[in-house]
Amino acid sequence: MFFHIVLERNMQLHPRHFGPHLRDKLVSKLIKDVEGTCSGRHGFVVAITGVEEIGKGLIREGTGYVTFPVKYQCVVFRPFKGEILEAVVTMVNKMGFFAEAGPVQIFVSNHVKIQKESEVRLKVIGTRVDATEIFCIGTIKDDFLGVISDPGAAV
Amino acid sequence: MADRGSKGFSAASKGKAIASKRGSLNGRPNSSANIPHINVLSDSDSDGFVEELPRVNYKSNGKAASESLKSGGRASSKREAGKGGNAYNAGKGRKGTTASAKSDAEIKLDLDMPPNSTILMNCEVAELLQEIHEHMAILSEDPKIKMPESFDKAFQYAKEGNHFTTAQSVKQVLDPLRKYGVNDGEICMIANIGPETIEEVYALVPSLKVTRSLNEGPIMEALTALADIKAAK
Repeated sequence: MFFHIVLERNMQLHPRHFGPHLRDKLVSKLIKDVEGTCSGRHGFVVAITGVEEIGKGLIREGTGYVTFPVKYQCVVFRPFKGEILEAVVTMVNKMGFFAEAGPVQIFVSNHVKIQKESEVRLKVIGTRVDATEIFCIGTIKDDFLGVISDPGAAV
Repeated sequence: MADRGSKGFSAASKGKAIASKRGSLNGRPNSSANIPHINVLSDSDSDGFVEELPRVNYKSNGKAASESLKSGGRASSKREAGKGGNAYNAGKGRKGTTASAKSDAEIKLDLDMPPNSTILMNCEVAELLQEIHEHMAILSEDPKIKMPESFDKAFQYAKEGNHFTTAQSVKQVLDPLRKYGVNDGEICMIANIGPETIEEVYALVPSLKVTRSLNEGPIMEALTALADIKAAK
């Protein structure tokens, strides 16, 4: 599920970037550092939609780098237990199949007849979260779940 | 004899299934794997069998006894139950799987995002990411800026998962459901799934079943309205 959330991060900037475009440099560094990452708490950061506030910079002792606390809004994607997702099958093996919904991979065991690139509707029954990745287990065994369309078939 | 008897006695007290097996050999009704009377051992009818079985059991009990020293007796009783009470265990296993299968269907949406976040429906995200994508197309003339892979994947997912023409119209249809006890997560699920029937809604969002009497009518109306704004794919 997608969320719009406000996050905060401390950005470090080298003094060579100081000048009239300090803010722009800070924002582009933020985008480069944060977009595409995943945290266990918030999920995948898909895109930054705006910067709310940039606090006062503090010069770090010994290095000369300056730390700015930046508050920014972003769109995050995080799968939840009990959520229904429509995913595309990426890999089939003996134990089941892997499907992808956005940036997240879901494993479903005990498939019926399934092919790669099929679309399936599944329910997330468990999520495992570590520092940089989210991994899900799903099921297609309940009512209204299962294969939506096969690859190459007309919808 | 006394020795064997005593060992058999301890075996029977540990392994319910073995006693039940003996019971069935005697032709006695074997209702379940529960402990029958230990008297079976002294039954003169089954002397012949009693001769055989304790020896077999003694061997297994010898093993079991040593196992029990390690694991406090649980492993041994489990194994003995496994040997004799196969039907019982299979039944238990079957019950176990149906119970877990049932609970899968009943798993409710478990949202634990921080309070300052707003849920976005796939249709809203598709529009939002479309704007950013257009922005990025201009900015991507700068070779240093690169679109992360997860952005593309999420954008593709939101576009394909979007069943409706505009996000605004979906919001207008689904917002009134809040008055009837439907929370944000559930509204988002309904928008993302794009259900066709009311039964589909209740099957896929089981938490709505709790207030079914309250929300059934409004949800049906919402589904009819959504059917009108569904984009032709």
